[in-house]
Amino acid sequence: MATARQRLLKEYKEALKQKSEDTGITLIPNETNLFAWRAVLRGPKETPFEGGVFELVINVPEQYPLQPPAVRYRTKIFHPNVHFKTGEICLDILKNAWSPAWTLHSVCQAVLALMSDPAPDSPLNCDAGNLLRFGDTRGYNSLARMYTLDYAR
Amino acid sequence: MASTEPAAEPPVAGSEAPDRPSDEAILQQQNQIRAEQAKVSEYVGQEENLGALKAEYENGNQNFVQKIGKLEERYRTFRRTRGDGNCFFRGFIYAYLEGLLQNSDLAEANRFMSVVQSWKAKLVEGGFQELVFEDAMELLLEQVKEVTKASDQFAQEKLLVNMRDDMVSNMIVMFLRLVTSCEVQRREDFFFPFILGMYDEPPATVELFCQRHVEPMGEESDHLHIVAVTEALQIPVRVVYLDSSGLPAGGGGGGAGALEASCHDFVPDSCPPGTAPRVHLLYRPGHYDILYAKSG
Repeated sequence: MATARQRLLKEYKEALKQKSEDTGITLIPNETNLFAWRAVLRGPKETPFEGGVFELVINVPEQYPLQPPAVRYRTKIFHPNVHFKTGEICLDILKNAWSPAWTLHSVCQAVLALMSDPAPDSPLNCDAGNLLRFGDTRGYNSLARMYTLDYAR
Repeated sequence: MASTEPAAEPPVAGSEAPDRPSDEAILQQQNQIRAEQAKVSEYVGQEENLGALKAEYENGNQNFVQKIGKLEERYRTFRRTRGDGNCFFRGFIYAYLEGLLQNSDLAEANRFMSVVQSWKAKLVEGGFQELVFEDAMELLLEQVKEVTKASDQFAQEKLLVNMRDDMVSNMIVMFLRLVTSCEVQRREDFFFPFILGMYDEPPATVELFCQRHVEPMGEESDHLHIVAVTEALQIPVRVVYLDSSGLPAGGGGGGAGALEASCHDFVPDSCPPGTAPRVHLLYRPGHYDILYAKSG
């Protein structure tokens, strides 16, 4: 736990240095609990999420960084790898491919990359996954766009 | 039953994938499994006679029994490590530190510390943020300083306690994994052909291989990991391969001699050929334990 705290303090200092205008990521720890963070992500350009602002809830386990943080969307999003109701994210680095070389910031980068580059073959949201799998990019984009406009602004 | 069900409801936006446990539930279960494993075996066990190893096979494959019998000529004891995918790295570093302690080898300890410190710059150059490895590196250096202070029974106990501690032990394993990954990526041209040979669908790049098979905790170590880490830290290692095969070691064709486990020495390029190994590990398919050579 002491190790996790030490590491998180370093990540916090690092987060203060990062400019969200450049990265599209703002990381904010809970004022009273260093193990509870939220992140605000700017929807990546040239995706149906552009212009949207997406909030992630990040819970850091005591065994961090040996174990991954639990990360989910608080903002509703229509994306094949995000659970539509719970906001849970299907991303290998948050599970078996986690390594302590990742940080909360690089996890957010990976989540942004997933928004630009969905993996429809391992869907948590089957409808979004099916649209992409059957090549209906237009259908996917317009639904994703609609939810961005409805929930992420 | 499925066939009598009415057709699935028409999809609504965002209908879910079939019921599955949440990430937290999965993580919780993994932790529970780990806790149960911990009750059965420590990260690093006690030193045991080879007879205990032989007893495991007494009613099984006699090739093992024969080979262990032969091993007893050269080795006095062994020490088990937990089979959690980190056994190579953990066994390797434990055996190395214990050797430093028992031989009070100050020169080697100093050499090792400066090699470890030299990895700070290499890791940063390799794209690892300092904050991800500096605490782990400190922990490893502390262990080395600790074992050079005294070599009594108390120091030995302390090393064992530390290497059984979840955080200390795993942070050190993690540091070794990052160093291994960095070494593999620094010598990409050398290692890539091996990676291609290891998988039916090999990772596209050395970097992806490292991210998927070297850096994550619990990913098992292969020949390649051993070559990389022994080179990176310049520590020669001998691995004794114990399996059920019935061919005599050396494959001399005669086949008349007793069965013998084959050995492989990992000698870093910087060491003269034939340098005596500092660490002896016993490999049984899928697992590494520590071996202790007879002195003299």
